[in-house]
Amino acid sequence: MLQGRISRPIVQRLVVLLMGTIILLTVIGLLIKEGGSFFEVLARAGPNVAPTVLAALALTGIIFTGAIDLSIASMIVVAGTVFGILVFRGFNPVFCYAACFLTALTLSVVNGCLVRVLKIPAIIITLAGLAFYRGLALVIADMWVPGFSGNISVHDDAYHAPGKLYAGWILLFALAVAGTWELFAKSPRRWLALGNSEEACQLLGLDPGRVLQSAFLVSGLFLGTAALIYVTRVQSIEPARMALGFELQVIGAVILGGTNIFGGEGSYAGSVLGAFFLYFVLELLIYAGVSPYFQEVVTGAIILGVIGLDCGLNRRRKLLEELK
Amino acid sequence: MRRWLLPAILLSEIVLFTAIGGPALNSVLAFTKYFQDYLGDILAQSAPVLLLAFGMTMVLMTAGIDLSVGSMVALVACVMSSFPGRADFWWTAAPLGLVLAVSLGLTNGILIALLDIPAIVATLGTMILYRGLCFVVMGDVEKAPFLDVPGYEWLGQFWGAVLLVFLVFVIGGQYFHRSRWRREILMIGGNRVAARYAGIPVSRRICQVYALAGLAAFLAAICFTARNSSVSASSLSGLELHVIVAVVMGGTRVQGGAGSLTGTFFGVLILAVLEEGLRSAAVWGDQHLPFKISHLQYLLLGTLLVAGVWLSTRFNKQAHK
Repeated sequence: MLQGRISRPIVQRLVVLLMGTIILLTVIGLLIKEGGSFFEVLARAGPNVAPTVLAALALTGIIFTGAIDLSIASMIVVAGTVFGILVFRGFNPVFCYAACFLTALTLSVVNGCLVRVLKIPAIIITLAGLAFYRGLALVIADMWVPGFSGNISVHDDAYHAPGKLYAGWILLFALAVAGTWELFAKSPRRWLALGNSEEACQLLGLDPGRVLQSAFLVSGLFLGTAALIYVTRVQSIEPARMALGFELQVIGAVILGGTNIFGGEGSYAGSVLGAFFLYFVLELLIYAGVSPYFQEVVTGAIILGVIGLDCGLNRRRKLLEELK
Repeated sequence: MRRWLLPAILLSEIVLFTAIGGPALNSVLAFTKYFQDYLGDILAQSAPVLLLAFGMTMVLMTAGIDLSVGSMVALVACVMSSFPGRADFWWTAAPLGLVLAVSLGLTNGILIALLDIPAIVATLGTMILYRGLCFVVMGDVEKAPFLDVPGYEWLGQFWGAVLLVFLVFVIGGQYFHRSRWRREILMIGGNRVAARYAGIPVSRRICQVYALAGLAAFLAAICFTARNSSVSASSLSGLELHVIVAVVMGGTRVQGGAGSLTGTFFGVLILAVLEEGLRSAAVWGDQHLPFKISHLQYLLLGTLLVAGVWLSTRFNKQAHK
């Protein structure tokens, strides 16, 4: 079943990440002091890492096709602002959750349409989206929240259910869906085909535009869930500062998971493992008592180290292939 | 890209914002005075971005991208700020900053050229890494030794900015435009394999381009600190996007192989005029709009970027037919 679905380099990367995560967990287990419990660390990990993992799942499908979405953080902000406005107006929680989810989904589909219709590289469209959506969030907050002063606070516990109570379960469910999707569905392979060669994809009878659109649609589903959890975990929604740099963290997780940034190669499982690996590295730093100022240095060094090693080792083969 | 398009956008922006937020221009004297101040201000303000955009244009020409410029500028500024603000700043901190900036750029180049990491991935990693180093160097404090250094403040004012931009853009740009080096990096961006077959030292050229981007980051760091006078570990984040948007709007192709410095120049100025114009139109916005007009900046930035790229690809297609 796995034959042909996941290529060898990807399997290698998965094994490396899995072993890395296990080593990290062992070290964390050894470092835990009296009174702390290892299982608590594990149980806390799920909800904490859920938004990153879900967003990474969203981005993976898009990167399969050779496109990229830099605007995920800004879309989450728009979804959060819509959520905040509805909460402020006193709507029913379920309605607010649905609106949050649908906003992120719609924006992702809009991105897909723009890339397809305008025929501009996705990186430019979503770079524009990164700025545009954040501005949009600020404008709608200004217009529909009287006396808006930078943040919308959501204090009522009734509005925090997905983020605070069910985040772990939602994550497990999404992982199950993504796993089944990767193993049995046809779409991810179509996206990979598109990422490998648009021409070949066309000759095969697939419409590249539609394939791309479907990638953005599915990504929107994951992103909506990510937005829902992200937004309901915080007490106050600040459109100008919320989720700044989140997209970089997510892209870091995806490429750490072995997905080729130019498309055509990759796996959902890798992205999930990448996100968990980065999370546990930071967790380890906290337990080891390293100053929090070193967090970013370590994150950057790990991304560069793992990918540098991988690229460096395969360099000769790649150069020879190029020159053939 | 048609030649008149970018200047036309710039001009219409200036006219629009002057009509909305400028003073009443009822005499020739008031008119010249206003525009003298206005243009001087815009140029002094956008000098650092112009310098960075010069480096970014070259990087994009090679089909690369440099996401780490913001972190690089911040790191250089942070390291320079740990020196006391005396006259000897010029022969201790400044050379150190220069060497640091070039070696940071070179690190990017080595990662990309010698280890063959895709540029966007490598510079994403160094962006996080350099920003982390800023925090390691600075912690939570904000330092401001710069304006105590004799002669430093002048670099942030009009004539200093003009001098730097003139040196880099007009003299450096002229030299660059005629050089064989420029064609080689364009060829690397257009088709890397063909460039290798043509005997161009691809790895060395890429390293040189990123080192030059580092040099631009050093100059920009001096400009920024001369204007803002202080620096902290988290300052200037998001700068890289600003620079990339400006360069791409100027008609440089993100896929590499084409680009122009004149376009970049106009791209940066368009963004600067937009920012400044929205700031001066705040009063008008409060009266006429249901939201703060400064928030429009992001919306307009996104729209302009997409519109600019779309128009330029359309015009290019027509030209090739």
